This record gives sequence, structure tokens and C-alpha cells, in this order.
Amino acid sequence: MTARAIRRISLPGLTLAVLALFLIATVATGISVLATNRMTVAHLVDRRVDAIADLVLERDPGEGLPGTDILLARIDALSRQRDTGDVGLALTRANGQWLGGNIRLRRTLPSGRSDLRTDDGIIGLSHGRALVRDAGAGRRLIVVAETEPFDSYREMRTRIYLIGFGSIILVVLGGMFAFALLVARRIGDQRATVDAIIAGNIRHRVPVTGSADEFDRQAAAFNRMLDRIAELMEAMRGQSNDIAHDLRTPLARLRGQLSAMVADARDDDQATRAAAALAQCDTLLAMFAALLRIAEIEGGERRAGFAPFDLSALVEEIATMMIPVAEDAGHRLSVAVDVAMPDFVGDRQLLTQALVNLIGNAIKYGAAGGAIRVSLDACEDGVVLRVADDGPGIPPEDRARALRRFGRLDSSRAQAGHGLGLPLVAAIARLHGGRLVLDDAKPGLVVSLILPGR
Amino acid sequence: MSLHLLLVEDDTAYAQGLAAELRALGHRIEHVGDGRLALAAMDREQYDTVILDRMMPRLDGLSVVEALRARGITVPVIMLTALSMASDKVDGLEAGADDYVVKPVAAEELNARIHAVMRGRRWTTSENDTIRAGDVVVSPASFRAWRGGQPITLANLELKLLAELARHAGEVLTRAMLIERVWGYDFEPETNIVDVYIRRLRIKLTEGGGADPIETIRGIGYSLKP
Repeated sequence: MTARAIRRISLPGLTLAVLALFLIATVATGISVLATNRMTVAHLVDRRVDAIADLVLERDPGEGLPGTDILLARIDALSRQRDTGDVGLALTRANGQWLGGNIRLRRTLPSGRSDLRTDDGIIGLSHGRALVRDAGAGRRLIVVAETEPFDSYREMRTRIYLIGFGSIILVVLGGMFAFALLVARRIGDQRATVDAIIAGNIRHRVPVTGSADEFDRQAAAFNRMLDRIAELMEAMRGQSNDIAHDLRTPLARLRGQLSAMVADARDDDQATRAAAALAQCDTLLAMFAALLRIAEIEGGERRAGFAPFDLSALVEEIATMMIPVAEDAGHRLSVAVDVAMPDFVGDRQLLTQALVNLIGNAIKYGAAGGAIRVSLDACEDGVVLRVADDGPGIPPEDRARALRRFGRLDSSRAQAGHGLGLPLVAAIARLHGGRLVLDDAKPGLVVSLILPGR
Repeated sequence: MSLHLLLVEDDTAYAQGLAAELRALGHRIEHVGDGRLALAAMDREQYDTVILDRMMPRLDGLSVVEALRARGITVPVIMLTALSMASDKVDGLEAGADDYVVKPVAAEELNARIHAVMRGRRWTTSENDTIRAGDVVVSPASFRAWRGGQPITLANLELKLLAELARHAGEVLTRAMLIERVWGYDFEPETNIVDVYIRRLRIKLTEGGGADPIETIRGIGYSLKP
């Protein structure tokens, strides 16, 4: 796994991955411990069997292998001893004919070492090791010992392993779960803070537990960043207040003087010129007001005043209110609200302004005697509020510019107004987590204000 | 009606222009340049209305209104300001101002607002009582209106508009004031909504005969004859 892939993995995913690795390691450890254990037991048993075979086949100095009688006597003696009583011994001919001993075998064992199983029919033996050694004169000595110190040893051992490793896995699983919960909670604190700030509560901060751990340091860094942003916003707001004050005051003076000139005009020509200048001054002021309004909306502070209201009813109400205004300008206005949004959360004033603005645009730019269609429908992202006219529309290449401040189109839409209407509506859409889209109504323009459904 | 007004504004050139225009409308104006002088002036004299700039050196407009209200001085205050944010307006009204107007304002608009805030102080009747202006009667509570005793069928918004005009019969209501009070908008639409609704109201009021009771004050607003 690359570092990038690791960084992209989710917290539950990471937990599962670590858990899976841990599980594999635990099982591997268990298997190897089991195997080693079995090998060790087999090895020890082999050595014991060897030692006993040596005892039986011991030669007196200078002599060959002992006779059958001596061997059987030794076997008998060993069978009686406490230390070796559990060992099976048998003396046979090469063809398997039994000569004596304390066990009988169902099959002929190969010479050397071999494993014994339950079906070899030795009473009390389920698993064992056997050694077949040449005892001279066509005789063979068979030594058999159990590899199980007591009954059901293997099952017991497996059970012990399962319980041991199982409890380890449970403890780790619980630990991982607790860890994931802790991390999620601490990260959740940050997310809640981000949400609160987006909702307009700039004073919100991530809680610090005081334990000075990684999370606390992260939270402190995050809070420092928020403090800095709040400072910058405060400075920006101060600046925009200063701009508003410093520009409005001279503009107000200018307007006052122009207004005085209109009143004091000596003749009609002077009055007309002064009135034209006054009208231009008012356009400038309207533009300035719209810019400040956009700045206010983009500041996001109005989110703090978001409240639930019936969006469907509002659209219906405003469109109906605008019908006489549209008729007055020679347009037909129709409204179709096809979705119920009784608890939409947002800024009622701003959405009212957005809709009045869009319908006003449609009245201004729509074809004379044309139709204006207002609708509210459900869409993938929530709801879409559409205002369509049948005027000249906006060519696709100019649409992005139409949404920018001062991106006013010079040809078809260069009538009255300050050209900040669509940028203002776009800002209102963004404040609500939505967006504004311009499209071809074939003919005309359709403006879609897409708002997230809640 | 000649009124005694106090204009509190630190920009002398603007204040002089505005004062001259208000004098031309027949009022007596006193001008002071900051908040402390304003409080001192109000200790000395009684004014019909105070026009108060918000951003001033020494004591700002908000503090002046708060100080006034704390002293129990109930003189109507119109806050005149360069700050146009919705929250600014809320701050101004919460501090105790009667109206909040963004600079610059035409003298006629300010004059209309001065009369409106003074009139507002004299009201003893509730908003829903029947209002009479000439031969026009409006009952906002029952959503009904009459002219010369004949009922007139009005849409909700038209009724609210007529009620507002009737409440201020004889006074000028500007488009901005009507948008604020009748439509309840905190912005000024670019479209001529007010004019269209006044035109419809005129048609309905004159359908049964009689002269047009609504007077147009060019470039400023409308007034219902008392």
C-alpha cells in the first residue's frame, strides 16, 4: 500500500485493515506454536523410545545380542517398572510373528520410526510413536510410546489456544472500537465547529480538554486559525464600513449639490442637465449600494439569521405580486410551484430580493408581449427556482461573465440598471449553499436558482 | 408645518447642504458636529425630531440614542448613516432610533420620514382600527375598504397599501417608505412595483366615480388626500 493510499483510507477502513493484519498474525502465531509443540513432544518421545530400546538390547561386554529369553525377561521387567510401565514393548520375528511383550500390533511396522494411530488397535493409545529395531537373529524389537500425556490432550490444547487467542482478539477489537469512537468524537468536535462557523457563528471554537494530547494541540491550532480568520473578517468589515462611509459621504455631498442645482436652475436647459447629472449620481449610488449588499451577503453573517419558512408559498406570493408589474410592461407572467417546501431554512428577505430581481430582469429583457414563466421544482440537489423569458437570452460564451461583478454585457442587455443584479442573485444562491445557472430557454434566457433541499 | 430639527452630522459640507434643503422646506434647523454637542443641545432645547449621523468622532450616533433613551428623552430620532447592512439597521433600531435611513437621502424623502416618525408618536389607536381619509374608509382588521360608502374589492397588498396611505393621509409617503412598510422588503427593487400598485389602486378607487384621491408628488412619492 502506498503512502497516498494509506492517507486516503477511512478510519473504519484503517481499523478493519489493522484488525485483519492482527488476526492473520495471531493465527500464524497459533499455528506455529502448535506445530512446534507437537514437534517437541514427538522429539522427546523419540528420545525416550530410543533409550528404552537401548536398555532392552544392551549387550554384555564381549558378547553378541542377547537371546530371546533374556530379551523377553528384560521386556517384562521394564513393563513392571513405574517409569517405563506406559511404554509398549514387543519382540517379533521378521515376518511379524509375535514372540512376546506387553502389546500386539495389527500391522507390520516398517523398521525405524513411525507414527501410530488409534486404528492400530493398542488399548489406551490414540497417538504415539513407534520404533522398530533389529534385535539380531531375525528378531525385531518394537517400542511404542504415547505422544499424548493424557486423554483428549489435543482437543484440550486446541481449546486452550482458541480461548487464549480469541480473548486477545476480543480485547484488541474492543480497544480498536474504543479508539475509533474517541477519534470520531474528537474529530466530531471539530466538524461541529466548522458547521457552526459556516452557519454564521464565527465565535464558535473547538473544545479543548486540557490534556495537552495530539487532539488538544490540533484543536488549539485550529482555534488559532479561527481567531485569525475572525480578526481578518473584523478588519474587512471595518474596512468595508470605512469604504461605505468614506465614499458615501462625498457622494452624498455631490448629490446634495446636484439636487440644489436642479432647484436653483435659471432655465430649462440647466435644469435638464442638472437632472441628468443627478440621475447619473443616483445610478452610481445604486451601484454602490448593490456592491455593498453583495459584500454583506458574501460576508456570510446573514447565515446567523437563517430561519425556516415556506419557500413554495413565498415563490407563489412574489410571482403573484409581480403579475401586475409584468402586465404593466406588456408581459404575461405564469407561475407553477410543483414542490412543497414548508420548512426551507434560509434568509427570506434575500430570497425575496433574488426572485424580485430575476422577474424584474425578465420583464426588462423579455420580448415585448412575451411570456415569463416562474417555477419551483424538485431537482437532484434539492429545489430549483426557474425564471424563464423569451427575450434575446445570453450567448453561452457570455454567461459566466454575466454572473461576475461588472461583467455586464454590452450588446443586448445594455439597458438601464447597474449590471449587478445577477451577481447579487448568485451571491444569494451561494450563501444558501446553492448556485445560479444560466441556460437557453429557446428562445430566451432561463435562470435557475438551485437550492439544497433540507 | 414648520418643525424645529436638530441635525447631528460631522461632515460640515454635507450638513450645510442638507440643512439648506430642509430650511427650503420650511423647517428651523440647528446643526451640531458631534454626539456630545448633540446631548448638550438637547439638554438646552426641545426639538421635534433629531437627525443623527451614526459614525461621528467623540460620541457616535448609537451611543447618543442610547444615552437619550436612558435619560427618558423620547424625541423621535432618525438615524442617517453610511452603513447599510441589515445588521447595522437592526443595531440602530435596537438602540432606540425611530427610523434608519442610508445616506444620501433626498431632502423630500427625509422630510416625509420626519413627518412619519412624528405622526407615529401621536398614534394612540391600534394598527387594526378603521381608518378614515376623506371619503375613503379602510378596515385592515376585516380586510375591507369603502369609498363614499361603496365597498371596494381590493387584493391583500392593495388593501395594505391603501391603509398605509390612509394612516398618513395628507402626508407624503415615498416609494422607499412604502416598499419598507407595505411590502416589508429590506431592499429597493429596481422595478416600479409601487407605481404599478398605486395605478391599480387608483383604478379601483375611481371605478364608482369621484376624483382621484391619491396625489402623485413627482420624483418623491404619493399622498392620500385627507
